[in-house]
Amino acid sequence: LLTAPLPQERGGNNSFTHEALTLKYKLDNQFELVFVVGFQKILTLTYVDKLIDDVHKEFRDKYRNEFQQKGALGLLNGTFDFKDDFMRLLRDAEESSRVRTPTVMKTFEQSLKSQKTVKCMIETRGEKPKEKVKNKKNKGSKKEGTEAAAAPTKASGGDKQPSAAGDKEELTKDEILQKNREEFFRRHMKAGEKSRSPKPDTQKEKGKKPRVWDLGNSNAKVLDYSNSATNGSAEACPVEEFDPDMALGDKNREPGRLYDLEYESEDEAEEEKVVQNTSKPSAKKGGLGGMFGMLKGLVGSKSLTREDMDPVLEKMKDHLIAKNVAAEIAVQLCESVAKKLEGKVMGTFTTVTSTVKQALQEALVQILQPQRRVDVLRDVMDAQRHRRPYVVTFCGVNGVGKSTNLAKISFWLIENGFSVLIAACDTFRAGAVEQLRTHTRRLNALHPPESHGGRTMVQLYEKGYGKDAAGIAMEAISYARNQGFDVVLVDTAGRMQDNAPLMTALAKLIAVNAPDLVLFVGEALVGNEAVDQLVKFNKALADHSMAQTPRLIDGIVLTKFDTIDDKVGAAISMTYITSKPIVFVGTGQTYCDLRSLNAKAVVAALMKA
Amino acid sequence: AMASGLEPDLAALRRELSGPAALSVLIALIAVVVTFLIWRFVQGRRSSRKAVLLLGLCDAGKTLLFARLLSGRYRDTQTSITDSSATYRVSRDKSTNVTLIDLPGHESLRLQFLERFKAAARAIVFVVDSVAFQREVKDVAEFLYQVLVDGTILKNAPALLIACNKQDVTMAKSAKLIQQQLEKELNTLRVTRSAAPTSLDSSGGPAQLGKKGKDFDFSQLPMRVEFVECSARGSKGEEGDADLEGLEKWLVKVA
Repeated sequence: LLTAPLPQERGGNNSFTHEALTLKYKLDNQFELVFVVGFQKILTLTYVDKLIDDVHKEFRDKYRNEFQQKGALGLLNGTFDFKDDFMRLLRDAEESSRVRTPTVMKTFEQSLKSQKTVKCMIETRGEKPKEKVKNKKNKGSKKEGTEAAAAPTKASGGDKQPSAAGDKEELTKDEILQKNREEFFRRHMKAGEKSRSPKPDTQKEKGKKPRVWDLGNSNAKVLDYSNSATNGSAEACPVEEFDPDMALGDKNREPGRLYDLEYESEDEAEEEKVVQNTSKPSAKKGGLGGMFGMLKGLVGSKSLTREDMDPVLEKMKDHLIAKNVAAEIAVQLCESVAKKLEGKVMGTFTTVTSTVKQALQEALVQILQPQRRVDVLRDVMDAQRHRRPYVVTFCGVNGVGKSTNLAKISFWLIENGFSVLIAACDTFRAGAVEQLRTHTRRLNALHPPESHGGRTMVQLYEKGYGKDAAGIAMEAISYARNQGFDVVLVDTAGRMQDNAPLMTALAKLIAVNAPDLVLFVGEALVGNEAVDQLVKFNKALADHSMAQTPRLIDGIVLTKFDTIDDKVGAAISMTYITSKPIVFVGTGQTYCDLRSLNAKAVVAALMKA
Repeated sequence: AMASGLEPDLAALRRELSGPAALSVLIALIAVVVTFLIWRFVQGRRSSRKAVLLLGLCDAGKTLLFARLLSGRYRDTQTSITDSSATYRVSRDKSTNVTLIDLPGHESLRLQFLERFKAAARAIVFVVDSVAFQREVKDVAEFLYQVLVDGTILKNAPALLIACNKQDVTMAKSAKLIQQQLEKELNTLRVTRSAAPTSLDSSGGPAQLGKKGKDFDFSQLPMRVEFVECSARGSKGEEGDADLEGLEKWLVKVA
């Protein structure tokens, strides 16, 4: 739990599954504590949330002094004898969930129905089915409650990580037996209760008011059960003002012409206006109280609540989306930042906006700083020592710049003194092999064999068009091993992530050849598509690999970075989804346009105005 | 009527201020401002570098070391996700204090916390897991490299101690071996890192570590580097004391 979601800003959702356990956690940001409850994944316990809240409150109140005064030393030296309190809270929570007395059927007098007159009974069609649905739901949850109650015996036994506050102990076998026995008895008693319930039904019969079926009166008005407000007379129906402009939409429309696909920019503008309108009245309401509140917020220790942060977070989320971060990722990020800041005490002279911005900036830098840095040169040197070639595979959708960036990377490797073999495994696209041949020729002209001790630095391995890519790759690698090349760069054909047979072919290529580095090439212009592409690519690689730990994407190459000014959100989306680093950034079409990512600069561009 | 009432008051005020009293008021204001600035400056200087940072990879033993130094007792620790700091009395007779700061080792967090605390660092203790060192040598070297080429750290040159932790385990490597391996690895790293593609805003390449042409050696660094063996858990297990003599002596020297 501690190493994965919390540091990586996935803390929006407050539960986490690991192997067979589900861990629910709660953050206390004021004193920087984490409360974790673990239980087996297959069980659904209803009292866990309540338990965590209770534990949190009690622990905080009990040890508040130690935290406030002594800080870290307090944490170290204080004895936190919380076990008894915790067992008590656990027992209370279990009791409350188990002993939910089956709700006695309300007698007819008690129910609201008897209090309504006949006229009230004349409901519109919509409402009656809703009531029925509600009753069904209640019955369903009752059943769940009994199942969950049987489960707590197993639940408290299953936790691996001790929580920050206290420990959970396994219930002894005797206690388990006792609990099961209680369950058994209770179920029998329930059956007895069911026989009692038909009685209130008879009472209901008596209480029913008779319906007036008197046709003798022939009073049309009495027989008219329609709601006079809506149906019936034409005058009662409010005349809608038919606005032909609104109905037809665009005023400049030529009658009869079919227009092209329109851009969504108009809708977005409308949405923004709506959001602003709702926020304005709340700001007005603030008014005088808001002014004093602002002063209070400037000086002194005000703790952050969700309501304070929501407007700021909304704005930040829209800002991120405007900067081309994928929408669902922006939402998740803001959720995670909110969770991290809730309850935190602000320092003096800091506003809510600045705190939230600071936290968001830190979160973004954290995301862009990868789990393990991919140092290609270092790994190539290692492979050199073992006398085998270092294999890099490039994959991605159509037209992102795989071949161009492959040429740039091979130039960089040659500059550093490594010999490169380019394997042309793109056997589909017309001109792919010729493109690589031209690059090879150019690179050899730039770095002639004479200046590198007589060996050709770049060579192309190709077998024409229409052949099997995986086979070509395998042959290229063995050729490189025989000839003593240091690096093999494998260029594959671009493919859409939805194209199942092509994804299978790619997965096969990677599974069979086991490259050292799998690079996903993505362009910086992509928006929400990035999420879909990466997820589907990873899934395909994982599904078709035979091994226990499948080879997934190891790194990302972000291309066409010069075409975006500061809408650098694609970098965030891609690293968030895969949690793998961005190894290279392509900024143009010449050989020197290869850069590495500077996390701080990207985040600064992202947060700028 | 109100406005006319205020006017003579304002006129009286203006008359008062225009006299020599105005000059003295001005001087008093300037004196206050200058005192304030001096006070801030002095405070900044005094508290500028009093911290000793505990850095290292995940599971190197930093948090346990922190607990041992401060309280002497053994504690079960979890992976840190935030920093902890406390003042540490260096020795009984000297009564000088340093602030010990324990930073998390997790990859996503370590650089961020380092940024926050590096300016205040008077000394750095880099904790290395001697048992897992063979396996992790590249990661250890990479983090150490990142720490060493940092601009602020090169400028301040805080004393560096490489604490080879977990010596109570029999398979632990000795400090000498760790030093040799780190030097070799850093030698390769500085070549590969300087050859990496320049970063996006071309803020200049990474600083050069040590002397060019010669193999990397810890003595080429602008700061004092020492190696020490220690064990936070202690040879007698959880009940006994930790073997922290070397570390404590170095802390006395540094404070």
